Amino acid sequence: MAAPSSATHKPRRNKAKKTAAYDAITKPESLVRTPSFPLASFLWPARGSVSQWEVLPLILMAVGLFRWAAGLWGYSAGAGFQAPPMFGDFEAQRHWMEITTQLPISQWYFNDFQWWGLDYPPLTAYHSWLLGKIGAIIDPTWFELFASRGSHDPTLKIYMRATVIVSEYLIYIPATVIFVRRYSRLFGVAPWTAWVALVAILMQPATILIDHVHFQYNTVMLGFVLSSMSSMLAGRHMWAAVFFVAALGFKQMALYYAPAVFSFLLGSCICPRINVGRFATIAIATVISFAVLILPIVLGTLYDASRGIDSQPDLDGPRPPLPIFPQLAEYLDTNAIYYPVVEQLVQMVHRIFPFSRGLFEDKVANFWCAINVVIKMRKYPAVLLQRISLGATLASIAPANLILLIRPRKELLPYAFAATAWGFFMFSYQVHEKSALLPLLPMTILLAGKQGLGKDIRAWVGFANLLGAWTMFPLLSRVDLKVPYAVLTLLWAYLLGLPPTSTSAYFQEGQSAWLQWSTAIIHGAFYILMIVWHGLAQFVTPPPDKPDLWVVANVGIGCAGFILCYLWCIGKLVQESGILTRSVRQSPGSKSKTQ
Amino acid sequence: MTEIHPSLWQCAVVAAALKILLFPAYKSTDFEVHRNWLAITNSLPIWDWYYEKTSEWTLDYPPFFAYFEWAMSQVAYLVHPMMLRLHNLGYDSWQTVYFQRFTVIVTELVLLYALQIVCAPRFIDSAHGTSRRAAQAAAISILLSPGLLIIDHIHFQYNGCMYGILIASLVLARNKSGLLASGLVFAALLCMKHIYAYLAPAYFVFLLRTYCLPPRSIYKIQFFNCVKLGSGLVAVLGLAFVAPRVGLPVNQEALKSVTRGLVGDTSFAVLPEITPRICFALTLLFQVIPLTKLFLRPTWEAFIGAVTLCGYASFLFGWHVHEKAILLVIIPFSLIALRDRRHLSAFRPLAVSGHVSLFPLLFTPAEFPIKTVYTIFWLMLFLVMFDRLAPASNRQRFFLFDRFSTLYIAISIPLIVYCSLVHRVVFGNRYEFLPLMFMSSYSAAGVVGSWLGFMGVYFTS
Repeated sequence: MAAPSSATHKPRRNKAKKTAAYDAITKPESLVRTPSFPLASFLWPARGSVSQWEVLPLILMAVGLFRWAAGLWGYSAGAGFQAPPMFGDFEAQRHWMEITTQLPISQWYFNDFQWWGLDYPPLTAYHSWLLGKIGAIIDPTWFELFASRGSHDPTLKIYMRATVIVSEYLIYIPATVIFVRRYSRLFGVAPWTAWVALVAILMQPATILIDHVHFQYNTVMLGFVLSSMSSMLAGRHMWAAVFFVAALGFKQMALYYAPAVFSFLLGSCICPRINVGRFATIAIATVISFAVLILPIVLGTLYDASRGIDSQPDLDGPRPPLPIFPQLAEYLDTNAIYYPVVEQLVQMVHRIFPFSRGLFEDKVANFWCAINVVIKMRKYPAVLLQRISLGATLASIAPANLILLIRPRKELLPYAFAATAWGFFMFSYQVHEKSALLPLLPMTILLAGKQGLGKDIRAWVGFANLLGAWTMFPLLSRVDLKVPYAVLTLLWAYLLGLPPTSTSAYFQEGQSAWLQWSTAIIHGAFYILMIVWHGLAQFVTPPPDKPDLWVVANVGIGCAGFILCYLWCIGKLVQESGILTRSVRQSPGSKSKTQ
Repeated sequence: MTEIHPSLWQCAVVAAALKILLFPAYKSTDFEVHRNWLAITNSLPIWDWYYEKTSEWTLDYPPFFAYFEWAMSQVAYLVHPMMLRLHNLGYDSWQTVYFQRFTVIVTELVLLYALQIVCAPRFIDSAHGTSRRAAQAAAISILLSPGLLIIDHIHFQYNGCMYGILIASLVLARNKSGLLASGLVFAALLCMKHIYAYLAPAYFVFLLRTYCLPPRSIYKIQFFNCVKLGSGLVAVLGLAFVAPRVGLPVNQEALKSVTRGLVGDTSFAVLPEITPRICFALTLLFQVIPLTKLFLRPTWEAFIGAVTLCGYASFLFGWHVHEKAILLVIIPFSLIALRDRRHLSAFRPLAVSGHVSLFPLLFTPAEFPIKTVYTIFWLMLFLVMFDRLAPASNRQRFFLFDRFSTLYIAISIPLIVYCSLVHRVVFGNRYEFLPLMFMSSYSAAGVVGSWLGFMGVYFTS
């Protein structure tokens, strides 16, 4: 169905490309004789007349093979493979399948918090329920209540790995394919170049390592975010809102993007002229999708309450006050029919947003953890830290979102999303290492855009991804995943011609020498630091009074590099939006007229 | 001349990444067999190698393979000496697994080197329309062969290295100056793994006709060449058998049975109640038929064709031939599959059936997606690419044969789906023989069909 549409679009796109080619720095693609990095070589025979129905299946099979092969390695199992008492994310996800299939819906969010209580939004719960139901057909013992805790049946592992891949192929991968197609067409990028970018995006090492090796379902959330972004590209604002609610409903971490989504959607309602109808549609769609999202929980709670099923059956004596917003109880009748629903929703919010925990939990390469080396953050009161954190986050995301608000242009979306997510990652509360996936995704999709495979963007996207994977190394090495880490990271670096395998991504013709050298030197310094760090962490034991020395060094270097990535995204956003120079505005303005 | 993309090296790097990721995959008893051989060659004097019986997996490959194991065991000693203890039966610490898996990847560099010769411009015969692009495509298809991935990198063996030597030998035979070297390399290969003896008749006839007899008259024997070849062969065999001289009888025993006699596998085309003698006679008969043509017209293409047909004959009629032996057919055939469309249409059913027939080697659920997706990936990529690259033939094609081969390939998809998923869902654990039977008959039909097709192509071209 996409083939005919591409045929009808072709002539117009070519015209757009020709006009855009004038401000392009590098040669037009047709003049390129040799591929400039190995990934382009692999797709080299596919240039010309090869149809997407031949290339796309091959790409999807190849990236699938790497995912499954990486999944043969061990999963997150706490400290060491199959280590009691808590195991890891794998057990958490399995446990959620257990409680969602075995307990009445009203008890899901009340069940024992100590053993991986459900603390993700409802869509994850429904997803777990579905996977648990399917899994129980294969082997009911996998998800037996209590008896299955800490199970490490090898077949269960295979089933769980398969669920990650299937979820990803149903949501993330179609979303990526569609996004790459739309985004590359926006700039008149040729389909072949877009395929190269697609492979690069799908082979992102950090994403494979976290989801398919360490074990999580981040790609489902990321897939919804990408669907939301491609709806924005297509001008379907209502669907953008719906998909984004789905992303939020799957994993609260999608909030990292929320300001950017909000700014873009609001911006497109007020700029260039105020469009009340569009605003109303978006608002109503958002509210309805939230309602649909929690509807099963609400109905389930009401139904369970009517059958006399208690949401907290272990509890003796009077019901405890609401965990947060206790003042609500003063206005509400605790015996009313709606009260269990209120209690359920409050409990859900309480589980999903753990305000009571510290500023940071583990060693993660964000600002607070890095600054902690110099100033011990824990000595300050939690409320003060929360306020500082909130202020810093808002300050860091403000520039990107203001630009997006006044210039809600599709070309800027990845930059704004990345800058916002970096801001959250660096300054917000309770950040996890894995959260680096969120800023990495919008940065990586830049590969599909204008000059995306040119040296400048490739160097920066590569730098962010390799640094991001590197900051996850302590997490991965704790569970003996050094080999898949090394293989997937080096493979990606090799495919895209990045250090340490090649320096081909540096020294682009036509750029100022000053900029080239500074980029090369800064990136080079970071790559050397990363390699030296690996050598030290592998062979030198840290001094006994500083057992965490290498991890802290990792955090410090990672944080500095991420700040650079954040600044680069902001810089590119300012440059591309053209708010500082009027002359640059001309060409995108004329281009948007052709659409 | 411009470079063709992607290069063999680039493919090898990416393939190596996948192979390293497959380290924790299922491994068969062959892993322990080879670990035991490392232990034997490292810890015993050379004359005891073929008498050592602590493990049931005695050393039963010819001596060059034992030397090969010995060389690797020297490195293994530096890495993790525990794996070299004779009594450490079934030892598979992660160091052992990493080391042995890694040696498979490293020794495959031999294959890479041989394939680089295949693609080298001086070996491309543009008169036959075989462009460099086609040679490179064929070389990459061998390098990425699902057969080698399944057998070597998951199941565990060292075929990549040995097929590399075979290809080097086949390619050397292309030039007159390389004939002697080709013969000697092949002799050395025979001293590594005796299964290649099945291909020896083609070598014998080809070298006899092109090297020992002059091209015009077959009555004037070129004595000097004969002496060179003979003394070379004696030297190679001497090198192999002199040192573990005492072990020779054991080794001959192994040579006679030709394979280790793994019984009860799903190797097909061997009907019950057939004695080894009949098998041998049939194999010989169907080897002699193509060899007569080779004797009359000793071109390099005919030689590769004859090697392929010898492989077919031994695979189809040999005694206790393992399904892994299908590589004996597929790999030489790959070298000439792109000559023209008629060759290609005989190759296609073989590519499908040969690789599908390897599926039962891996029966664990974790490896199921790897073997199927990788094979489908390979088939889709290379059948499409070969289809573009193969030049039209100057002869009439077999119309029906083409149609049947397309139909045959189309059947594979529902068949794989049925055997791997539908059967389990419908019948549970009952009738477990059904999928195996379907697979075997499907593969047998493909191999026999492609054999008949290729016979036709061979005798009419």
